Amino acid sequence: MAVSHYDHRFRAMGGLCRLRFDCDGGAVARAVVVAVEAEVQRLEKKYSRYLPDSLTSQINAAAGSAPVAIDEETAGLLGFAQTLWQESGGLFDLTAGVLRRAWDFKSGQLPAQSNIDELLPRVGWHRVVWDRESIRLPLPGMEIDFGGCVKEYASDCAAAVLARNGIERGLVDLAGDMAVVGAGSVAEPWSVGISHPRRQGAAIAHISLTEGGLASSGDYERCVMIEGKRYGHILNPLTGWPVQGLVAVSLTARQCLVAGGSATIAMLKPEVEALAWLTELGLAWFAVDSTLTCHGELTTD
Amino acid sequence: MAIRSAEKHSTLLALTSSALLLPAYQAARADAPPEFVELGVRYSKYEEDNTQGSKTFGGSSQRYDVDVAQFHLLAPVADNWAVAVDMQWEDMSGASPWFVGESLDGGSKVVMSGASIEDTRTEVSVTTRYYYERGNAGLNYVRSDEDDYDSNAVALDGSFNSADGMTTYSAAISYSDDNIEPTQGSVPTNTLKADKDISSVFLGVSRIVSKNAIVRFGLSYTYRDGFLTDPYKFYDKRPGERNEWAVNTGYRQYFPWPNGALQADYRYFDDDWGVASHTLNLAWHQNLGHSIQVIPFLRYYSQGEAQFFANIADLDKRYFADDYRLSSFGAVSAGLRVRYEMGNWAITAVGERYETDKNWGVYSGEESPALVDYWRYSFGLDYIFK
Repeated sequence: MAVSHYDHRFRAMGGLCRLRFDCDGGAVARAVVVAVEAEVQRLEKKYSRYLPDSLTSQINAAAGSAPVAIDEETAGLLGFAQTLWQESGGLFDLTAGVLRRAWDFKSGQLPAQSNIDELLPRVGWHRVVWDRESIRLPLPGMEIDFGGCVKEYASDCAAAVLARNGIERGLVDLAGDMAVVGAGSVAEPWSVGISHPRRQGAAIAHISLTEGGLASSGDYERCVMIEGKRYGHILNPLTGWPVQGLVAVSLTARQCLVAGGSATIAMLKPEVEALAWLTELGLAWFAVDSTLTCHGELTTD
Repeated sequence: MAIRSAEKHSTLLALTSSALLLPAYQAARADAPPEFVELGVRYSKYEEDNTQGSKTFGGSSQRYDVDVAQFHLLAPVADNWAVAVDMQWEDMSGASPWFVGESLDGGSKVVMSGASIEDTRTEVSVTTRYYYERGNAGLNYVRSDEDDYDSNAVALDGSFNSADGMTTYSAAISYSDDNIEPTQGSVPTNTLKADKDISSVFLGVSRIVSKNAIVRFGLSYTYRDGFLTDPYKFYDKRPGERNEWAVNTGYRQYFPWPNGALQADYRYFDDDWGVASHTLNLAWHQNLGHSIQVIPFLRYYSQGEAQFFANIADLDKRYFADDYRLSSFGAVSAGLRVRYEMGNWAITAVGERYETDKNWGVYSGEESPALVDYWRYSFGLDYIFK
């Protein structure tokens, strides 16, 4: 029986998602699509900070009071986030989201330093009390946000669903975070585009993906010029001020999660430091700096 | 610079190892239990060439033919459990070398047993396998019955994957209790009733060395104890114990172009009867589209003779045997396996030619006139209920 190519689009995790795979039966293909969407939705419901019933919202609501029980998967994600925090010297920080309250980029005004100083005590992964069973945010107003890694993790989980269903060639694309499965993908690679950081819907590069994951991180909105200085949207959790960093980074790794965490760290570092860090990381990468110059060795086709 | 570089690679290592602690990745690495019931039937024919007239007393003699029918069932019984049942029926007929005698010209010729052997063998094997997070373990029982032979064997095996999922360690032990009761009639036998035990242990490790390559290495030891003499061979008396060692290595690499994999295996065998052997196996697994796989294979085997092997047995020695299977020889076999999958069905066909020659071997020794060449054909049909 001939193998058909399936291409399914759906909305999840605040973006447009796409599932492509080869399969020789329509009924199996439908079951696979349902299983993949269910897995992505499970993770969105569990970790989205916008959904009031999510575990993330429960943890944030309990800030300053009692610990919240967590499962093995959440403990694993927290452990990964802690490693990112350690390896980035504190730049990757799940608690950094509250700093956004001080910054209103649309106003064209810089926030008062006093506003930032007020928020900084509620930022800092080192303040969080957690173990494999529970987590407690010690101060009222503290928040965590899995936004920096959950979409990448969901891509890997969705790819695992494809593999468990016997799909031998498949690609999961959760709004730019991708994971590939199957020996068929090695034989017949996926050509994927990397979003242009400044032109919506356009690709700045195409690469061939045979296995593992591809993750991208970018400051996709125009930076604001205030008093002649460029301010991006990525905030340094140690200072509360925007990073003078790269505008887009893409990496490939065996796991989309590892690629995504590394991309986020690269975005949090000053431009020159970020390029040096990427060069020595040991993964294939591609980056665009503030002058829209491309760097890196991610194979393009 | 080198130190900084090592530091950054340690960053990648730290990120990867902490990511792999997540249950999602562990599930992906775990040995997956079967999700569906699988059924298979297979028919094989094994056909030995007739022994050449110049090598036997009494002209050309027909040798063994074996017809084999197999049935295979694999079924998941719970999330982490599976049971496999295998049954096999063999129908053997023909003649077997009885003894080697000296011909008038001073050479040696085989005396065949005549077309007197007609036997059937039935084998039932049941395996239950448990799949855990980082590997699986199986318990297997095999019962085999023939008119003149029965065997009961149990085996236990287990495998365990390293934390990074790149290395798999495996081990197995087995024990078999065999009873021999030779059929009385056409030829005098060496015993009326006897038994033997076989115990063996295996340790192995395999490692993924790159995204497309895997290597494996294994050591095994087997101890045989009891009546190891061939009951039907006229000049045959063997020690009551045999200690065997074997080293296995293998390499398998997938090539994205032309979408095929090379498999190369080597085995070295040695025992305390003086028999040693080298086996080299080469196979190419070529995928044609998504449904056809063509696998040509080539095997080379070279064996050195047992200390007590001689074409013309010296009955004054403590042990003696003229069995060609204990002589020095070389063998080459070549074949082709084709597998075609369509939907839930799979068809497999195999054809193989095996030839022996004293001169193909690397060991010295007497050439047995009873060396065997054969054809083997097999045809199988598998169905998966999904």
